[in-house]
Amino acid sequence: MSPAGREVTITIDGREVPAIEGEMLHDAARKGDVEIPYFCYEPKLGDPVGACRMCLVEIEGIPRLQTSCSTPVREGMVVHTRTEQVKHAQSAVVEFLLVNHPLDCPVCDKGGECPLQDISYGWGPGKSRVIDEKRHFEKPIELSPLVAIDRERCILCYRCVRFSQEISEDAQLQLLDRGDRTYVGTFDDRPYVAPFHGNITDICPVGALTNYTYRFRARPWDIEHAGSVCTLCPSQCNVSFTVRDEKVKRVISRDNAEVDDGWLCDRGRYGFEMFDAPERITEPRLKGGTEAGWEQAIAKAAEGLRAAADSSHSGVGSKSVAAIVGDASNEEGFLLQRLLRDALGSPHIDSRPSRGPKAAVLRRLNEPAISAKVSDIDEADAILVLGTDPLHSSPILDLRVRKAIRRNGAKLVVATERPTALDGGAEAIARFAPGQAAHFVGELAGALGGRENVATPISGTLADAEKVVVIWGERIAREDGAAEALLDVAAAIGMSGSEGSGLLEIPDTTNARGLREAGCLPDAGPGLAETAVGMATEEIRQGLISGEVAGLILFGADPLRDFPDTPAWEEALTAADFVVSFSMHENATTAKADVVFPLETHAEKDGTVTHPDGRLQRVRPSAGRPGEIRPNVLVLSQLAENLGLVTGIDSQPTAFAALTEAVSFYNGITDEQIGGRGLRWQDREGGPEHGNAPAPEGATQSEETGPTETGGTEPAETERDAPLSVVQPEQTPGGVASAKDVAAEPTPAADGSLTLGTYRDLWAGPITELNPPLKFLQPQQRVEVSTADAERLGLRSGDRVRVSQGAAGVEAEVHVKERVSKGVAFMAEGVLDGNANALLNGGPVQVKIEKLSEVRA
Amino acid sequence: MPHQLEKRVLLEHAEDPALRTLDGYRRLAGGYETLERAYKEMEQDEVLKELEDSGLRGRGGAGFAMGKKASFLPRGDMAKYLCCNADESEPGAFKDRELMQRNPHQLIEGIAIAALAADAGHAFIFIRGEYDEQADILDAAVAEAYEAGYLGTNILGCHRDLELVVHRGAGAYICGEETALLDALEGKRGNPRLKPPFPAVQGLYGGPTLINNVETLSNVPHIVRRGADWFKGFGTEQSPGTKVVSISGGVKRPGNYEVELGISTRELVCDLAGGPEDGHEIKAFFPGGSSSPVLKAEEGLDLPYSFEAMAEAGSMLGSGSIIVCDDRVSIPHLALRTARFYHHESCGKCAPCREGTNWTVKMLERMVRGEATPLDLDIVSSVQQNIIGHCLCVLGDSMAMPVGAMVRKFREEFEEVMENPELVLDPHAVVQAPPETLGASA
Repeated sequence: MSPAGREVTITIDGREVPAIEGEMLHDAARKGDVEIPYFCYEPKLGDPVGACRMCLVEIEGIPRLQTSCSTPVREGMVVHTRTEQVKHAQSAVVEFLLVNHPLDCPVCDKGGECPLQDISYGWGPGKSRVIDEKRHFEKPIELSPLVAIDRERCILCYRCVRFSQEISEDAQLQLLDRGDRTYVGTFDDRPYVAPFHGNITDICPVGALTNYTYRFRARPWDIEHAGSVCTLCPSQCNVSFTVRDEKVKRVISRDNAEVDDGWLCDRGRYGFEMFDAPERITEPRLKGGTEAGWEQAIAKAAEGLRAAADSSHSGVGSKSVAAIVGDASNEEGFLLQRLLRDALGSPHIDSRPSRGPKAAVLRRLNEPAISAKVSDIDEADAILVLGTDPLHSSPILDLRVRKAIRRNGAKLVVATERPTALDGGAEAIARFAPGQAAHFVGELAGALGGRENVATPISGTLADAEKVVVIWGERIAREDGAAEALLDVAAAIGMSGSEGSGLLEIPDTTNARGLREAGCLPDAGPGLAETAVGMATEEIRQGLISGEVAGLILFGADPLRDFPDTPAWEEALTAADFVVSFSMHENATTAKADVVFPLETHAEKDGTVTHPDGRLQRVRPSAGRPGEIRPNVLVLSQLAENLGLVTGIDSQPTAFAALTEAVSFYNGITDEQIGGRGLRWQDREGGPEHGNAPAPEGATQSEETGPTETGGTEPAETERDAPLSVVQPEQTPGGVASAKDVAAEPTPAADGSLTLGTYRDLWAGPITELNPPLKFLQPQQRVEVSTADAERLGLRSGDRVRVSQGAAGVEAEVHVKERVSKGVAFMAEGVLDGNANALLNGGPVQVKIEKLSEVRA
Repeated sequence: MPHQLEKRVLLEHAEDPALRTLDGYRRLAGGYETLERAYKEMEQDEVLKELEDSGLRGRGGAGFAMGKKASFLPRGDMAKYLCCNADESEPGAFKDRELMQRNPHQLIEGIAIAALAADAGHAFIFIRGEYDEQADILDAAVAEAYEAGYLGTNILGCHRDLELVVHRGAGAYICGEETALLDALEGKRGNPRLKPPFPAVQGLYGGPTLINNVETLSNVPHIVRRGADWFKGFGTEQSPGTKVVSISGGVKRPGNYEVELGISTRELVCDLAGGPEDGHEIKAFFPGGSSSPVLKAEEGLDLPYSFEAMAEAGSMLGSGSIIVCDDRVSIPHLALRTARFYHHESCGKCAPCREGTNWTVKMLERMVRGEATPLDLDIVSSVQQNIIGHCLCVLGDSMAMPVGAMVRKFREEFEEVMENPELVLDPHAVVQAPPETLGASA
């Protein structure tokens, strides 16, 4: 139903309104400031259904009234929306909708923000003629642990069902029974558990679907809406916080087609109660948990960092403090790298949990010509999902890809280690073994160039397409050469010459792009400019262990939970002389810190973040900061001052000005330009043609050894560092499978060990531990193995096992999965018990599985 | 022997059980000769032209010209479909059941020839779930036709394929609505779709689809065999051909009668069906099934039985099912029964039908219990008006039109029942089991 695109003029109520041929009359009317009431129509949900009949209008030349939601606009159409006939019909429909509606507005949460209320007042008959008994249902009941359903209030507009069927495609919600006995439910009354299901509460036009987290918490006249950006994952969805008494009571979607299409995942929607969790750090603390005043804590931190920087374990005194940033705004990242580089004179800063490409490669990946924006997915002819599962790593993009397939006929190719949620809609699927991403991407570039190889089965779809969007996971670039190979893929596809084609990264952390561009990289300063090369994350870890690094600042990063190789991080944090941790909540890492500073949440923070597609977005303070929490930029600026660096930054505007001045391609961007919708720096008028910071070409291109090199050649000092059986390409060629045919897979090692693949589960981490409503979703560690390996190892789904790698081992429950490749085992990172990060050591690892207990039959 | 007023084309030889078999159909009716000729000698356009020229109007209710509908299908290589609507579920209609039960091959041959006109490679007979026996008969006949090479691949060596599947519905009236039928056939909830797009353009599985009623398709072999002019020799100018009319209710000989369209309604009801039982008079009748507005005896019985005459009288010929109400029938109870049926069968997708049918039933229930006032009667009327023309499909109108007409034409009966509910006769007195045979004259 894509509009024909021709501009036409139609007449609505005697007024000429410009419209686009083929668009729905309702949309044209709305753009022309003509309000036509409606319930079921919602363009986000796809084709109209015409169920509510509220939007009936009169069109000259057509005898019967027509639903404006389903009538495509034609040149010269003459429409009447306020004639007696139309008014009569609209009033009749309102009356019908209220026949079975309980009219319990005084006790309904929707009251005051209810389309049914508004339309009844605006277009309804004003009084009821119904004296008969209304239909009754048990109410409210749990549709899911998070959403209550009141079926008596439901007007059967089909929106929630369409969402489930056609947007999230979980197909769990159904209409059951028929006629006026129809009700919304699930098969066998099972709970509706799906990662996006909270959206149905946003789109419900009545009080039938309400959030348990918000029921009876506030009335529309008690609350304020504050627009901001969710920073719980790299999707950076636009949200609106419902705030009452300076506290967030609800998170709803704030439509931005360029970012989220008006949807929100349940993480972003329900993950707000942790703002007030008991574990929240609300004041500066010293080692052992003693609370401290700000001045004391800042002085203590400055003193400790200065001492660490001046200590000379290895004779390189000025280089012995490092910083790792996880979750931070651009301004915070920018200030932190200044603090480290200019106040402490250390180049050791990174914003990545593991390894990553060199700055030279990042600059090339940043080229606007090969960058895709989110909305390019909608128009793509082919989409490659490479080394990531959007559902877990950037959920909203999962919906976006589904939409492209469903509505635009886009062809999807999935190339990953682990089966993804999008496999079902894929035209072709390739599986490569953990650790073989670089090899596989290289082969793909070759196949696109015409070579016959393992990637050939998937390359045809991409080669045949005009517009190709490659959605790739940052973690493939942990492997040496993978990012370079990706650039070769981009070149082979001809991305730079094709409008609408491009790369779109799904990074591991929310503001990864912004932090890199703000200068939080070991080999690049603000704007990816060249700078003195420092240590990367894993080198910093080794430096702490070896004593080369004495002090560490962790900003929004929890290495003991989120970074690979937990035992090494334990050792590193124990060995560190002085650790300053900025954290929202208490965790294992803060327990090891000498000074802990509280962080603001995304509901409290004022700052900017940069979406993976380059869109600068504004996080606005919406709720009050609990306890003694201060704006983080001020804390950093004050800490810098205590260390002798006067930044002149004393507020968000000054921090933002300093950032845009320092980052070449942010130069001149103003807060107004970012506004509520964000601004892609690549798209801005008069903006730079290329994202590169001015840097000598030779210097960026020729450097072949990456910062990860040293980490890999570190002498094996401890047992943990002993060489492990690293899987070579010859042993496990990137297995490729077409959508139907699972072919070559890694050969299992002779000793029965399996190659470990890890992934970050959507629900792993503090999100489910600190938000009481989400606790039921907390994932338990499980090890996924193929049917063949399960048979070989005598395992059944449900068995308890110990998965070990060298001395490290964790417990897990076996899940036999058909779609898992032979020779590979998958485990989740970041779960509370049995975190797979404990088994990783920077390269592909082999794990042994030993059965602890069998599942009860 | 058929009555002299009958004109049997579709029901010729219908008494002979042998007609059900392939052999019998060939022997008695020259079966599949037309198919053979059409497949071997005729082009798509020739078949289509014959159908268009015949003026055959759809026998399912809407009366849309069948050939014209078939001509709407786009040409091209895409998969096209033909669906035979055998979901005959309207109270009063039982003609398709008879046609399928007695002469299944006539329908199959009609489908095969119509598929030629529509260039469809797949055809489905969507049969009402309760028509179990008829579905079994069709299954057997379809198997015979496959066996004989009239269906399947490379039919009669003409390099044309047609797969025919008999699909049993799950017993929902709404699935007789063509787009709901398509959804149900696709395995979805049987709810009507928005139109446009019309099925001819985007129907089953998104492909162009021709949907016709059993009786319509049963006419096809005869038209192609004997020509459009022969067909137009029957009936009136706007309603050519014969029509199988189901007559039920307060008559002596209820059943199916095939007559030329345009026959006097009185002849149909009184001569063929035997008229009212002795000592009773006809009060009103539904000329085209329960969804057609009732006509009082004096306004309708002397009209010709044709699409145009019934439309002019403010009702419709519909599927051609006459339900006769004699003077024992309480109209308010009849209105309630009618409303209950549509309330029960409303799919619930659009608000006016879902809530309107429900509300109407509740109000009528109060009336026959004597718990209503004349004001309620106005509300019932106004609710019917509010339903008509505002729904997604015609189901809502199908209740609102007859109920509205009953209130309008028999208002005094409603007032009477509200006043003295205990005095009004039980409407069940004249309810009969559906006739199992052809009209008693057969």
